[in-house]
Amino acid sequence: MISTIDAKQRAEEQLAGFPQTVVDHYLAYAESNDPGLLDAVMLGVLEFYLAKPPAQPLTQMPGSTRLMEDLGVDSLAMVDTLFMAESLFGTTLTDDELARVNTLDDLRGHFRRHLATSAAHAA
Amino acid sequence: MERIVISGVGFVTSIGNDRATVSRSLREQTTGIERFDFMPGVELPVKVAGTIKGFDTTAPLWPGWRWPAGQTVPKDVLRGLPPHGLHAFCAVEQVIADARLTVAELTAEDTGLFCASAGSPRLMRHYLGQIDESRGQRIAPMAVVSTIAGTLNFNLAAHYGIRGAVAGFVSACASTTQALGYAFDEIALGRLRRVLVVGGEDLTWESVYAFHGMRALSRNADPARASRPFDRDRDGFVGTGGGAALLLESASAARERGAPIYAEMAGWGQSADGQSVAISDPSGRGLATAMRRALAAAKTSPGEVDYVNAHATSTPAGDAAEARALHTVFTESGAHPAVSSTKSLTGHGLSMAGVMETAFCALGIKEGFIPGTANLEHPDAACAGLNLPRATLPESPRVVLKNSSGFGGSNVCLVLRRGEN
Repeated sequence: MISTIDAKQRAEEQLAGFPQTVVDHYLAYAESNDPGLLDAVMLGVLEFYLAKPPAQPLTQMPGSTRLMEDLGVDSLAMVDTLFMAESLFGTTLTDDELARVNTLDDLRGHFRRHLATSAAHAA
Repeated sequence: MERIVISGVGFVTSIGNDRATVSRSLREQTTGIERFDFMPGVELPVKVAGTIKGFDTTAPLWPGWRWPAGQTVPKDVLRGLPPHGLHAFCAVEQVIADARLTVAELTAEDTGLFCASAGSPRLMRHYLGQIDESRGQRIAPMAVVSTIAGTLNFNLAAHYGIRGAVAGFVSACASTTQALGYAFDEIALGRLRRVLVVGGEDLTWESVYAFHGMRALSRNADPARASRPFDRDRDGFVGTGGGAALLLESASAARERGAPIYAEMAGWGQSADGQSVAISDPSGRGLATAMRRALAAAKTSPGEVDYVNAHATSTPAGDAAEARALHTVFTESGAHPAVSSTKSLTGHGLSMAGVMETAFCALGIKEGFIPGTANLEHPDAACAGLNLPRATLPESPRVVLKNSSGFGGSNVCLVLRRGEN
């Protein structure tokens, strides 16, 4: 769980230069805790880090889309994305967990599980 | 030996972000120095700097940086760069366009890249802080290559596919002048046909304000008077950052492409003071030796030199030492070239200064002007007898000497001549 005040500060510090839609979805998530908003945040962050823009927004791509082969995500973009998730949501990811993230669905599922677990602990 | 020429220039500097603006600023003596908060909200004794306009690199990481519309910076390049790397990249893009370099020429095995910067203490502080706060768990992938000295050559060589030779120089404020010297040698020896020489520096408190520790920075709060090389009332240098680049290549290679020839580089020389880690030999002996070696290498007598672009940073000790060196080489042989320091307009660009000021000289040779020293009101007694124009002169110098000195007593001098297009 992130407080709305924390979220505003984190957005200001961490998301400077990111598309406004990513910032808006992040703040909305912090307020509602609606896991449906996570996709727009994390896929928006990943999309921003891609060296070349994808053919369509990642949120509209099939969940089976492969990060490396189909989107050209390299290890640097992946680590940057995961670091951002850590900064925004306070989650930590191990190298083993990172190795199991291969598709957009893997990425979505990973953060949903982590944040659901965090929320349960907080409750 | 085949002639070696400057065939492209690029600038992201305090006095302009393109060749035309820089040229106009030098002619009209438009200063790049303004009030600057090194630490916003903190009252520091150093209040001015040569700022870069049109860019914003105050955010700690690249997603928050801004650059002029129309400049394309690929993300895969940007993510490895420090703030000054963005400036240097934009300067190199200008050189490539100016020199009409093709991808095939850039990636040829006879094209090299020599660079210098102090690295990025700001970005390094950011990344080291992350590592420390996470107790070693969080290390950004680009933490090393985007921060250490060498970051420019690492990143630019990879992006442009440089295959001839890649090197970084760390002789402080003499670095890019030395890079030009060794680039000249590589071309003269026939090992390379062309070398891109690039310099850059961050303008941050981490990179520049730290010099206040040795009381090297001006505490004059007036942007119009703080940088006053050779003036009796000078009290230190004004820092600046940015990026500057030029292409040095064989004249035949430049001619084959129809590239503009700004100037010929005729030779260079260097020496070392063998004294202090930070302060120039007060006698100017080391710099005089470097000047004589450069002139000898270029088969040029002191009387043939029309203009000396001095290192003169506006520090009390450094300018006086350079004035003595100039007397030794020129006054004592009856020569009186115009001498000026363009740092009066730009501030001191540290390791970037040499390539930036050599490119200024190349512009002066091609476009027909000799920059004056702005803000010079009362020449120091040590300068008596030197020809120190204050305003820019509408004269086309045939032969120019460029001086640079750096920590550790490095002295490097280049001789440029008017080239033929």
